[in-house]
Amino acid sequence: MRYLARRAAWTVLAVLGVSVLIFLLVRLLPGNIVDIIAGTEGQLSRAQRAAVLREFGLDRPLPVQYLLWLGNMLQGNFGWSFRTGQPVATLIASRLPITIELALLAVLSVAFVGIPLGVAASVSRSLRVRTLVQIVGVLGLSLPNFWIAILLIIGASTLFGWLPALIYVSPWTDAWVNVQQMFLPVLSLSLGLSAVVVRMTRSSMLEVLGQDFIRVARAKGLATRAVLLRHALRNALIPIVTVLGLQTGFLLGGVVITEQIFGLPGLGWTLLNGVYQRDYPVVQGTVMVFAVTFVLVNLLVDLLYTYLDPRIRYE
Amino acid sequence: MARGTSGWHRGVDRRTFLAGGLALGSGLAGARLVSAQTPKRGGTLIAAAEIDPIGLDPHNSSNFSSAQAYDHIYESLTTYDEKTNIQPCLATSWEITNNGKTYTFKLRPNVKFHNGQTMTADDVKYSIERVLDPKTASPWLSWLNAIKEIKVVDPLTVQMNLDAPYPILGSFAGIRASGIIPKGYAEQENLKIKGIGTGPFKLVEYVPQDRIVYARNTDYWDKSLPYLDGMVFKVLTEENARIAALRAGQIQYAFLNPPGATQLEGAPGITIMRSPYAWVVLHYLNVRNKPLSDARVRRAMRMAVDTNEVIQKAVFGAGVPSGPVPTGYGDWYLDPKTLPYLKPDVEGAKKLLVEAGYPNGFKVEIKCSPQYPEFVASTLVIQESLKKLNIDVTATQMEWGAFVAENAKSNNSCGKEGSDIYASANTFRPDPDGFLYPYFHSKGTINKGGCDTPDPKLDALLTEARQVTNHAERRRLYEEAQRIVVRDCQNWWWFAKHNIEAVSNKLQGYSQSFTGRRLFLKKAWLA
Repeated sequence: MRYLARRAAWTVLAVLGVSVLIFLLVRLLPGNIVDIIAGTEGQLSRAQRAAVLREFGLDRPLPVQYLLWLGNMLQGNFGWSFRTGQPVATLIASRLPITIELALLAVLSVAFVGIPLGVAASVSRSLRVRTLVQIVGVLGLSLPNFWIAILLIIGASTLFGWLPALIYVSPWTDAWVNVQQMFLPVLSLSLGLSAVVVRMTRSSMLEVLGQDFIRVARAKGLATRAVLLRHALRNALIPIVTVLGLQTGFLLGGVVITEQIFGLPGLGWTLLNGVYQRDYPVVQGTVMVFAVTFVLVNLLVDLLYTYLDPRIRYE
Repeated sequence: MARGTSGWHRGVDRRTFLAGGLALGSGLAGARLVSAQTPKRGGTLIAAAEIDPIGLDPHNSSNFSSAQAYDHIYESLTTYDEKTNIQPCLATSWEITNNGKTYTFKLRPNVKFHNGQTMTADDVKYSIERVLDPKTASPWLSWLNAIKEIKVVDPLTVQMNLDAPYPILGSFAGIRASGIIPKGYAEQENLKIKGIGTGPFKLVEYVPQDRIVYARNTDYWDKSLPYLDGMVFKVLTEENARIAALRAGQIQYAFLNPPGATQLEGAPGITIMRSPYAWVVLHYLNVRNKPLSDARVRRAMRMAVDTNEVIQKAVFGAGVPSGPVPTGYGDWYLDPKTLPYLKPDVEGAKKLLVEAGYPNGFKVEIKCSPQYPEFVASTLVIQESLKKLNIDVTATQMEWGAFVAENAKSNNSCGKEGSDIYASANTFRPDPDGFLYPYFHSKGTINKGGCDTPDPKLDALLTEARQVTNHAERRRLYEEAQRIVVRDCQNWWWFAKHNIEAVSNKLQGYSQSFTGRRLFLKKAWLA
């Protein structure tokens, strides 16, 4: 319990730190909303520039801007998008489910495909299986997921003349259409991630399989299946779960590009556009959501350790 | 091999030089690609939007993507036909009196806004005054600045009084911030995502980064239009996704870049329309500081570069050489065949540099943004070509927002701040004036470095062109002004790009606009 309280305190501090960082970083970017409005062809006079800055509250001192933002955020008000005038909280609420779905499906498919493959690779004596896993691993790691995404789109349309429905449909409206829409993006996201997990699982399993207690389990006459799953995998899982947790961060980065390529109106693309258009409230709001998610996932991973290995205890 | 090479050269030459005008001609023929079938009412067009519009406010959005989206919703006092001639729209006629200082517009009666309200002179006054208000922060304010007073004479007559003659006001259609909205509407609604105008289509819904949905305006003043029941623009910024969707038959319209168009060449059921349009790829030069303050230096640099190579490498040949006014814009542009420096002349360039005192070259920086790959490509061609003159070019790539901020710095300081060369493009202006006066008149608002050392000849030409109303006379003045700025390389103008739009054969009756805007979707139908 004390551990949890301490972790919670650190979590809050980490999130606060992120809030300061993102607030400053986004303002350090050259150019602001005024420049974006003017573009290269239009112009804004001094009076017009001042009017825009005043409208968005950018004429106030930085600490004041920061405290106002933080104070409002604590009350659930994330500010208003410079670009669309919509409340950022509403924007996030409408975009977050898509990103969560995408990330969750990607992590699940990685877990359900990557881990079994890794286990298979660790025990298989067949050179072919091991080579295959190696090749998949190297390819998955070295091909950037945005490139895979483009290949998938081109492939689907030229080879099969098929593409999922253009406009995003939520799983609650039509689950089947939604599954079709999520298929390619999830595939492109999980390929790279699976490669990492396969390799991690394989090496972790190999290490565990060489240990004495496995030999004991085998000597007791346990079935191979039981040895592998109950004894070996259970003990090999800790580094795998760690990697999965860390890779969630990578995944959050991955959705930014993947969503744009597939035209999915999720949080990642919202963030990307926010940065391009110097829409500070949107960038700040979405980054906060990403940061909190990342911190929570890590907390979850830490707690999972105690479940996976009862010897681990947090004091 | 040798034959192959010469053949390639010939092909290239033919495309850009011999047929500079011809390509344009055929392009326009392509633009007139209208089938002989009779229009059919009904159906919803599914199209791709290549960029998510940055807000739909018709008065303070500078982005072309915004204009593309709100064009269907709002209308101006005048509009363009397929040949970019001014046509009546919300105004049926107008009169210029008081030595060009008073414009009186007669409004079209019984025009309904999408909310059923009738459009009157009060709405026109309100809308234009909204642009003139600094609080609106319209990037196009300077185009309407000449208006000193807007008077409502009667519900269907508006009078605008200017402090000086300003012929551009006659081409209201091209002034981006001139959409008419109901009086008081901006105070009631968030115009960034909502919209009520008089246009052929009503805005049903705009979901940023996802889709823009339109429905037919059943009360449109031109009773026969539009033919479509509705349009859905799905935002697909990734070109490969647009191409895939076209192939799979999911969308019937998409804007493409030259490399994308080659991918779709010969795809069944898809027509690729292309014609030069108002998109002149150029490099803005800051003429304030040495060595670029010397016209000989700017000219020498320009002479070392092969225009044709720029066109090939930047847009895969999809363009025609152009001066300041885009090739193909009415009769205002310089005939591409008569443009100087089309072919590289390295020896001549070297001589000029020696004359100017830079026999050993110098270092210079060009800023460009990968947001538009063609700007980077053209910059790299320059970088490579100038090596022959010992000029060491640093090509600095910047993210778009940062680039825009940099460029604004030099615009706002008359070249005192910011850097020397920027790669960019000029899009449509309502009048040739817009390509010249703001940049090269010493009182121009985007002048990079020429503000303190006026060129009296140029100032006189550009001022006079604003005062005369006779078309032939204005044409002559703008031709002369263009010759001067091109000769002195005030900027480096390269080419007018082709507007490439891919349409499914199901979409009929659509034609391209020189403005690059999708104005004529109102006349298109689904077969």
